[in-house]
Parts: sequence; structure tokens; C-alpha cells
Amino acid sequence: MAEVHVIGQIVGATGFSESSLFCKWGVHTGAAWKLLSGVREGQTQVDTPQIGDMAYWSHPIDLHFATKGLQGWPRLHLQVWSQDSFGRCQLAGYGFCHVPSSPGTHKLDCPTWRPLGSWREQLARAFVGGGPQLLHGDAIYSGADRYRLHTAAGGTVHLDLGLLLRHFDRYGVEC
Amino acid sequence: MIGSGDPPGNFQLDIDISGLIFTHHPCFSREHVLAAKLAQLYDQYLARCQRNKAKFLSDKLQALRNAVQTGLDPAKTQKSVDITQKAINEYKSEIRQTRKLRDAEQEKDRTLLKTIIKVWKEMKSLREFQRFTNTPLKLVLRKEKVDQKADAEAYEAEIQAEVSELLEELSEEHEQRMEEYRAAYQQWKAWKKAQRAKKKKKKHAAAEEHPEEEGEEPLPGEGPVKPVPPEPPSGAVLEQQVRERAARSRRRPGEPTLVPELTLAGSVTPNDQCPRVEVLRREDVKRRSVYLKVIFNGKEVSRTEVRPLGADFRVHFGQIFNLQIVNWPESLTLQVYETVGHSGTTLLAEVFLPIPESTVVSGRAPTEEVEFSSTQHVTLDHEGVGSGVPFSFEADGSNQLILMTSGKVSNSVAWAIGENGIPLIPPLSQQSIGFRSALKRADAISSIGASGLTDMKKLAKWAAESKLDPNDPSNGPLMQLISVATSGESYVPGFFRLEQLQQEFNFMSDEELNRSKRFRLLHLRSQEVPEFRNYKQIPAYDREIMEKVFQDYEKRLRDRNVIETKDHVDGHRAVVAKYLQQVRESVLNRFLIAKRHFLLTDLIVEEEVPNISILGLSLFKLAEQKRPLRPRRKGRKKVTAQNLSDGDIKLLVNIIRAYDIPVRKPVAGKFQQPARSSRTFGEKCAASPPAHSSPAPSADYPLGQVLVRPFVEVSFQRTICHTTTAEGPNPSWNEELELPFRAPNGDYSMTSLQSVKDDVFINIFDEVLYDISEDDRERGSGTHTRIERHWLGCVKIPFSTIYFQARIDGTFKIDIPPVLLGYSKERSVILERGFDPVRSLSEGSYITLFITIEPQLVPGEPVREKFDSQEDEKLLQATEKFQAECALKFPNRQCPATVLDLSGKTVFVTRYLKPLNPPPELLEAHPNNPQATAELVARYVSLIPFLPDSVSFAGICDLWSTSDQFLDLLAGDEEEHAVLLCNYFLSLGKKAWLVMGNAIPEGPTAYVLTREQSHYLIWNPCSGHFYAQFDTFCPLKSVGCLIGPDNIWFNIQRYDSPLRINFDVTKPKLWKSFFSRSLPYPGLSSVQPEELVYQGSDKAAAAELQDRIEKILKEKIMDWRPRHLTRWNRYCTSTLRHFLPLLEASRGAGVEDDHRAELLRQLGDYRFSGFPLHMPYSELKPLIEAVYSTGVHNIDVPSVEFALAVYVHPYPKSVLSVWIYVASLIRNR
Repeated sequence: MAEVHVIGQIVGATGFSESSLFCKWGVHTGAAWKLLSGVREGQTQVDTPQIGDMAYWSHPIDLHFATKGLQGWPRLHLQVWSQDSFGRCQLAGYGFCHVPSSPGTHKLDCPTWRPLGSWREQLARAFVGGGPQLLHGDAIYSGADRYRLHTAAGGTVHLDLGLLLRHFDRYGVEC
Repeated sequence: MIGSGDPPGNFQLDIDISGLIFTHHPCFSREHVLAAKLAQLYDQYLARCQRNKAKFLSDKLQALRNAVQTGLDPAKTQKSVDITQKAINEYKSEIRQTRKLRDAEQEKDRTLLKTIIKVWKEMKSLREFQRFTNTPLKLVLRKEKVDQKADAEAYEAEIQAEVSELLEELSEEHEQRMEEYRAAYQQWKAWKKAQRAKKKKKKHAAAEEHPEEEGEEPLPGEGPVKPVPPEPPSGAVLEQQVRERAARSRRRPGEPTLVPELTLAGSVTPNDQCPRVEVLRREDVKRRSVYLKVIFNGKEVSRTEVRPLGADFRVHFGQIFNLQIVNWPESLTLQVYETVGHSGTTLLAEVFLPIPESTVVSGRAPTEEVEFSSTQHVTLDHEGVGSGVPFSFEADGSNQLILMTSGKVSNSVAWAIGENGIPLIPPLSQQSIGFRSALKRADAISSIGASGLTDMKKLAKWAAESKLDPNDPSNGPLMQLISVATSGESYVPGFFRLEQLQQEFNFMSDEELNRSKRFRLLHLRSQEVPEFRNYKQIPAYDREIMEKVFQDYEKRLRDRNVIETKDHVDGHRAVVAKYLQQVRESVLNRFLIAKRHFLLTDLIVEEEVPNISILGLSLFKLAEQKRPLRPRRKGRKKVTAQNLSDGDIKLLVNIIRAYDIPVRKPVAGKFQQPARSSRTFGEKCAASPPAHSSPAPSADYPLGQVLVRPFVEVSFQRTICHTTTAEGPNPSWNEELELPFRAPNGDYSMTSLQSVKDDVFINIFDEVLYDISEDDRERGSGTHTRIERHWLGCVKIPFSTIYFQARIDGTFKIDIPPVLLGYSKERSVILERGFDPVRSLSEGSYITLFITIEPQLVPGEPVREKFDSQEDEKLLQATEKFQAECALKFPNRQCPATVLDLSGKTVFVTRYLKPLNPPPELLEAHPNNPQATAELVARYVSLIPFLPDSVSFAGICDLWSTSDQFLDLLAGDEEEHAVLLCNYFLSLGKKAWLVMGNAIPEGPTAYVLTREQSHYLIWNPCSGHFYAQFDTFCPLKSVGCLIGPDNIWFNIQRYDSPLRINFDVTKPKLWKSFFSRSLPYPGLSSVQPEELVYQGSDKAAAAELQDRIEKILKEKIMDWRPRHLTRWNRYCTSTLRHFLPLLEASRGAGVEDDHRAELLRQLGDYRFSGFPLHMPYSELKPLIEAVYSTGVHNIDVPSVEFALAVYVHPYPKSVLSVWIYVASLIRNR
């Protein structure tokens, strides 16, 4: 009965052209995984950097999983949004990364992308905001049917995650 | 058609007509005819290529041959020769079949290829002949080189294999025939022999008798003909045959593979280079146009647009028709119409469309081509070949062809999908299923239905029935599925697995995971299941977790619907508790969402920026005189719940002073007693108070120089603190006691704190010293005394009150038992208090307290949400306006114009007030004394247990239940008590109002105000006590508003203390009324019932309850004295039991002396200390707590005996008054 603790934080984001960013995050796991405690998804505050261009959220993540298999190792999916001066939110990037599989602390950089529209939509986005978004969020972390998408790269989200694994060696997984 | 049970619904059929292609049209030129033929052949070729039947059959043949080879393998055939032999025979017959099929297929392929080439050649020659091109078709033959040698080898090998097989086959056949031949031969021989023998015999016996017999012998038919041995098969002939066949049907070795490719790359000759007839034909084509009509159940429902016929005889429509239908369709037809120029239209053909299966829904339906043809005869005067008329490609007119107009409509018909994703299909019961049986063999879906596809058994059965070829690649996935599903035991999983291979990689099974106690514990904790909320330190290993951890939880799950009577003793209350629990849960769910709405101010504290005026003031403060002896109150910082843990919160109880503590009565002994008991009331009043002035100190008071030595003991959550001992009936302690507070399960969140049900008990004891020196001689050298303490009374304050009030500061009446043996009130003090003439002598003792929590906790805030209401919108607006006006003037005075009822709806408050009949028994008790009746009614109301809403509905708000609900629940807080009492008073004919105000210790509360002849009385509905308006010790400290049955009056006087205000509501300057001339009372109907129905009191149940309580309490007292023997004095108990009903009858007044006399008469040898406790009955726990708090069990004198009696007096509606008399007895030596 292997257990995994994921303890860490979403530190912040760099490289986004927009300011006033916030991040919606969630953890997706396979069917073999069971969340024992902690919250699976959340949303950070809106951070407007004053010095430099890094938005800091320092949003805590504390999850405790039990698993009966390695399939569907937890993956973190992120959506970075920016809020403009009118309070409207527009998408700045999607990103995902697997939770590391070795115990210890990890510094992760999660690059992001956002769907690109037609030139008309791009023009509109540049002037009035908005822009295309994914209809279903699961396309962020599942590889299927992405080949039709045209995307533009966004900034990077930085994460610090600490991993604690327990009892994996009982089942022949050495770590 | 509609089935009886099926409601007619709106269903939708989507018909997508994408286009029309003519495979023949009157305007076709000869070239077009050939092109169509070519295209058709090419399509056929492509389809055949895709299926590649020949290849598949070859592979199958190969596989079968291999199987035969392995079957013949001598190493393997050892086991079961019969079976393998049988299998091999089967294989062989199958090889034969397959080979025939394969040869046929290959031959077809080859002929098709040949035909294509032939047609193309014809077309080329035609184009050359007419010198123009009409169609862009172009056939390219691509040659694929093959390795000549390998090819030849393979060809040869194939032929050899075939020959050998055939040879084998034939030799087998030959063998068989030989067998037959031999058998026949034997038979013939035997017959011959027999014949010969007969002949011999005959010859021997009578040769001449039957000479003709000899002649008959060789006659055919008479006996078997001599068989001819069959010819052995000849290898050479066979090979010759095989080779011939191969040459016919197969590619010669080394001959390149021909792959035809049909393209539209050719160019069409422009009009100006064509001869006139051709130009005419083209013109004619341009004039023609086509449209389709959609006929549904024989009625035209729509038609497509009219589209011109293109030069390639294709028409594109691309239209979708949505048919809204009600019934299952009977027929669906498309009619093809052609228009020539401006003349009329002609019906070319009708196309019948199949009605789609119910599984075919929009977006998934494939486009199908449906062919049609027409019978019309058209002859044209240009190059067009016409229709239904013979024409020929040859110049001499031979080889005539007659072509009819024909074509294909490409369309798709499907069921639409509704908004919610459900296909809009009429129920299946409506369709006739007759036509399906024909398809059953071929199509799995039509045979067993779409739903059958998920049922493995059905599918496997169907596969077996229809002899599905397991080697056919198109059946591959299906066969695999069936073999997986049916292999081993016939276990069919009742689920659909998303991640199929998951199970193979699992560490453990689901059951194992679910069995883990640790995970279960963690999960339950994170779900905040009450038993496990804030459960600390979950062990790291399963083996360390006890099974009993879950017992309570599982029991609760089991008993959710079972009413447990054990804990509640009384059945009715058990039901009520259950009901209350359910109401609580449903209300909690309603409010859960409302609670989640946070405002910015809930999260962020923003200190105000100091402006000039504040700065200036603080500068002035610097210059102010320092007055260290007059400290100022400083606001404490509030602490939020999350950063708290056990031991952080302390309850501070400041005990300042007490008034009028009962003093010891000097009891000399039993001989003096009769005289004392006979003293009259008047005498008592006049008696000189000090005890030390009484006759000579008796044996009971060896050290007793004082009246009383009281000390205060505060107990909270079983923690006990006490003050030092003071002396005299008006002691001043001025001490601060600190008690730790522990939240349930260590959960310091707001909701958890609100629902803490613990009470703070403040007990006043008298410390009595007894000299137990055995010997007078010791007195000089040492003292040997025993300290005993006698309980005098208590004050009980619920923790929730302290939590909501933040601090409690005031003077409280001490709850002194009606009979306190050995003590009496000191009267002289009363005489000093001359300012209070109303106070009667029986008034009790008081204690001044200050209680607070350190650090200060943030009390829960009421829910801000608005709730739905059935009140008039105008009334609600007026309410809001009224409340806003009131809050503007006097923000501290409460004015609840609307309240929430039990279902969470807003109700106008006056609807709760209505005269309601009190129980008739109470009215009959004192028919001539209205005041006594009122007191009795108030007592009845006070006997209903008090349960604050904040406890039952943690963190929500006040809910007001109607009086019948209140009487059914038998629990409620101040408002319910007050409403019921007020309604009783109204029905008694009094003028009564509900007073909303602040009181100690309750905080915001509801009292009842009645108007007697000349003065007002304030009733505390929870205790049943009443106070005159000018009583200084009245717990009601401020008055916010008065509520009558038809109006609300808000207090707009300067002061709000009841001592200083005028209760005359008719004065508009003092009381602001809600309904006035501008907004008259609309006559709101009451939410209360017409009449309250009371069941009579159940004496038998009360007696039973009484016994049970007594038994339980006795057990508890024995539990609390684990190290001592607990003896029960039965004699005393029975005396007490007789005494308790008297107390109930007199409500604890004026029976004390008789009782004492009685006791002394019977228990003269004992020193007796005990008292009756009285309380309303709700459940057992408060009774146990109350007995515990008196500390009777703490006496550890070895010879002590106990007495305990319980009396339960039933009132109507199972309101119970409980008396507990507990006493300790020590035998006097």
C-alpha cells in the first residue's frame, strides 16, 4: 500500500507578457490512485509584480495519495490567467508537468502554451483581449487530439515540490 | 403506431442529401457511357483491392497447410491419434474448399483487370475516332517489377503444393475406391464360390434336374458384377490440369504486376473545336437541371433547390433536412425530378431510403450511395445517346446496347441528437421488427441489437451460430474479444474497463486497498466525519490501529434510522432527538453554500491610515495627566481559530463577591429540634441572626465560631479550581481562576466552538471543620480535624454564552436548593436593604462574577444571505426600512422584525404571537388565583429544556419554531420559551408582550412583559421567575423592542434599562411602532396552530423513568468513588422519596422545616447533609453532571452512607420535572 506525499508550492511565473497573473491548478491521477487528504485543485491570488517581472504566488500544495499501481502517476496541470484593469480574465497559458517520481525536493519549471487563433483573433486579442481557450481542460494533460492545435508559447511557471514515497519497495519499485 | 405506454414525443430525423451522380443519362455521349463503365469497373477493382480476398484466402490456405504439417509431425501425434487424424481430415477438406475459392477469386481479379484494360482501349479508340474528348478520365497502368526468379520459384512451389495435394486427394479417393472395389470383389468372390459350391452340389446330386440353372448364373442383376479395379491417379495429367488452371487465373511468373490508376487528369476539348452535334449536346446538358423531393410516409415534406446538371453529370446539393416526426417512420423516399429549359419537369426516378438503425445518430452516419434508374425513353437529335433506345459503338450498328437513365444519390439519414445528448428516436417498441430477421445472419448488430454488443455471451453465441471465420482480419478484434471474454470460466464482468491493462500492473487488489485501516482513517478524517474530525496522530502502520476506532462510526451508520432508546431513557425524547438531528442536517445543508461567500473584509484587515485629527488627539494624550490608579480598558486582540491548539485557550473566572449566603443553623441536637421546627415564619424573620449568639456551642461546632466559611469552586470540563475560603455570609474573594479549555477533538474552528455544549458550574461550598480528635488529652499537643464541605448552591453558565458574549460581567442569582438542611438565610441583611420593598424574603443569594475567555475568540457571524420568504414584498421592504432607521438611531438595540422559521424561510415576527391555550390541568389548579395560575404556567414553560439554537444549528442563526413545534421538540432557546409563555398569557387575558433585549448571562434574549393592574412584570421564560420592573436584580438589563400580536414597538427612549424606561407603548415619542397610520396593520395570519393539543401526563412512564434515572445515578456515584465502598441507606432513601412529591407540589417553598423535623425524627443518629436538585428533563447527561457538580460523592469518611431519591413529575405533553435528592449520612458517634 504505497503512499505518496506531495508537499510544495507554486512559487510563481516568469516570462509572461501580461502582468497581474493568477494560476488555476489541479492534480490529475489515474484510477489506481486515491487521495487521502489535501485538496486536488485550487486557484492562487492575482499577483501584480512591482519589481522585476516574476509573479509570486507561493501557493501551498499538500497532497497525500495512496496508490495500488504506478499507472496514472499524478500530474499537475496549470492554467495561467491574467486579469486586466477591468477585472476581465484572459488566458495566458496552459501547462502541465508530472509530479517527480523520486523522493526529495524538486524545483520544476513548467513551460506553458496557449492556443493561437486566426490572424483576426490574434489581432483582437492584442487590442481588446480575449482569445481562444480550450473547451475541455483535459487536453492540457492528455496527449490525444492535440495535433490540430496551433499554439503560442507562454511563460514558465516555477514550482517547488517535495516528494515522500512510502512502501514502494514492498512492491518491487525501488526508489 | 404509438405504443400505449409511450408518450408521443418530438423526434427528429436528419436527412443529408449531398449530391447526385448519373451513371447514365440521355445526354451521355458515347464516351460518357464508356467512362461511366470504366469508372464503375475501377470502383469495383478498388473495392476488391481493399478487401484483397485472394490474398486473404492464400494466407488462409498457407495457414491450413502449416496446420496439417504440424498435425502430421510424428513427435506430436503420439497422444491422441484419433483426434489429430480427425482434425487433419477436416483441415484437408477445408484446404480443398479454400483453394477452390481462392482460384475463383484470383480468376475474377484477373478478368476484371482485363476488362478494365479493354474498356480503356475502347475509349481511347473512340476519342481518336471522334477527335474530341468529353471526359477528363485517364487510365494509367503502372507496372510493378517483380523478382523474376523468386516469383518463378514461388509459382512453381505453389503449383507443386497444389499438385501434391490434389494427388494426395486423388490417391485418397483412389484408396477409397480400391477399398470399395476390394469389398465388392470379396463379395463377388464369395458369391461366386457359393455359386460354385451350389453347382457342385447340384452336379453331385441332380445334375440333369436343373440344367437351366447353369445358364442363369452369368445373368446380370442376378449376382454381383465382377468389379473393375479403379485406375490409380496419374501425376502427370494432374499437373497438366493444374498448370492450365493457373495460367488462366494467375499471373505468369515474371510477368509484372499491373496496377491500374484512374485519374481525372485528362483535358476536355473546348466547345469551339467540337463538331456541331457535340456542341448541341453540351448545350442541352446545360439547359437541364435536377432537384429532389423528400417524401416521408408518402407525403412530400420538402424539396431541394433546383441545381443545374454539370458537364460531368454530377449535381451537388449539400442540403440537410431535419424532419420533426412523432412516429416511427414507415417509408422514406426521394424523388428525382429533371427540368429541361423552361418546359415542364419530369419525374426521373424514385429512390427508397432505408430507415436508419436506432444506433445511427447525426454526425456518425456514413454517407451512403443509393442507386436509382428510370424507365423513360428519350431519343435526342444530337450526340447524346438517349435512354431506353438502342445505340451502338460500332460503325456498322452491330452489338447494340440499350441503356436506361440511372444514377446514384449520395445521402445519409440519421437520428438527430437532442440538446442533452439523447438521440431523438421514437421508442424501439414502435418499430416493426419483421424486416430484421433476414439480416440476422450477417450483421451482429441487427441480430442481437446494439445493446447486445456489450453482452459477451450473446455475442459469442451469435458468432458461433453464424460460423464467423476466426481468421478473417475484419473479424479479428471481435474474435479476440470473444475469446478473451469466454476463455476459462464464463465470467463476464459487469463493468466496462477504461484502462485495460491496469490490473496486471497493480500492486494489490482494490479490496486490499480498501481494507487498510490507516487509509480509511485518513480518508474519514479528511472528509471531516464527526467521529474523526481533527483526529490526531494516525498510526503509521495498520497493525497499530485498533479495530474499535471505527466501532462508533459504523454503529452510527447502522443506526441512522434506528431510534436508540437506551441513551434517552424516554421513547418520545429519543424520537425528538432523532427529528432534531434530521432538521439540523437539512438546515445545515441549506446554509452550507451561504456560508461559503467570503467578502474582502473577511480575509483582509486594513488598518486605517492615521489622519491629522487622530494624530492631534494622540499628541494631546501625551500631555494628559497620568492616573495610574484609574487604569483604562484596553481592547484585546481577537484571535482567529486556525492558530490555536490545546492549552492555548483559557477561561478566566473572576469571582468577586457574594451576597446573602445561607448561614449554618446552630443545631444542638435532636432534643432541641422540635422546638426549632415549630418556630413560625414570623419568628424566623425576627430572629436575631448571628449563629454564635445561639445557645452554647454544641458538639457539632467544636470550632464553629463563624456563621459560614464559603468558598467557590468552578468546574468546567471536569477541571476544578477553587478560591480560598472566606468568612461570613457576604464574602469577598476577588480572585481570578484560570481554567483550561479544550475544544472537542482539538478542533478550534468557529463551527466547532459554537457547538460546545459544556457548562461552567460555579458551586458555592461551605467549609466545615470537624474535630475528630479521639482523645481530649491530645488537644493540647495537636489538632486533628477533618474538613468537610457542604454544597450551598450553584450558578450554571453555558460555554456558548461566554463564547458569544466574549465577557460576562454581573451579579447572578445563586441557584440554591429549596431545602438546605442545616442552613438558613441571614435576615439582618435584608433589613439593611431597605430600598427594595418588593423583594420577598425567600429571594436568594447572589454572586458577582466576571468571566471571559483569554485570548478573545472571534464569535461566529450571522449569515448575511437573504432567504426566501412568503411574506408580501411591500412588508419586507417596510421591514428593512424600519430596521435601518432603528439601527441608525440606536445601533445596540436589537429589533428583529423578521425571523427564520424551521424551514429557513423569513417570517414576520408578529405572526408568532397568538393566544394559545395552556394545558387545562394548569388552569384547574388555581381557579381563583390568576397570579398563581400565571406562575404555574411560567413554571410549566420553564420545565421545557433549554437548548440554544447556536448549539443545534452551529454557526447559522436563530431559528424560531412555532409553539407546537417547540412542544413537540421539547427543546428550544429563549425565543421559543418566551413566545410560548407570551401566548399563554395572552390566552389568560393578560396584556403581554415579547421583550427583545439584553440580559445576563444570556446576552441578546427574549423575555415576556405583562401588565398587571398597576405595574409591569418581567418574566424570565427559561427559569419561570418574574421580576417587578424596578427590581435591581432583574437579569434583563436593556430593552430593545416590544413585540405584540399586531405590532412592534422599538424603544426610542434615551435609556434602555427596564428600571429607567416607561413601558407605555401608546406614547409615540417613547416607542416607535412598526404599523402606524401610514402603514396600517394588514392583518397577518398567524403561523401558530389554532389550538394546542395536549396529551395527558403519562404517570406510568414517569414512574418507569424515575426508576431508571435512580438506578443510573446510583451506578454513577459508585463509579465516581472507585476507591471507597459506597453504601446506600435504604431507610433514608425511602424517606426522601416521600418528601420529593411534596416539594413538587409546593414548588420548593415552605416545607423545609417540616422536612427537617421528619428527618431528624427518623435519622437522629446520623449527621445528615444533602439537598434536592430540581431541573427540567431533557436527557440523562445534564442530570449526571448536576449530581457530579454537587460533590456529594467526594466525602471519604469511611463510615459514610448515601441516600438518593428521584422523583419525576409528569406534566402534559411529556414535559417532565425531575427532582433528585442526594444526601450523605455519617453516623454520630
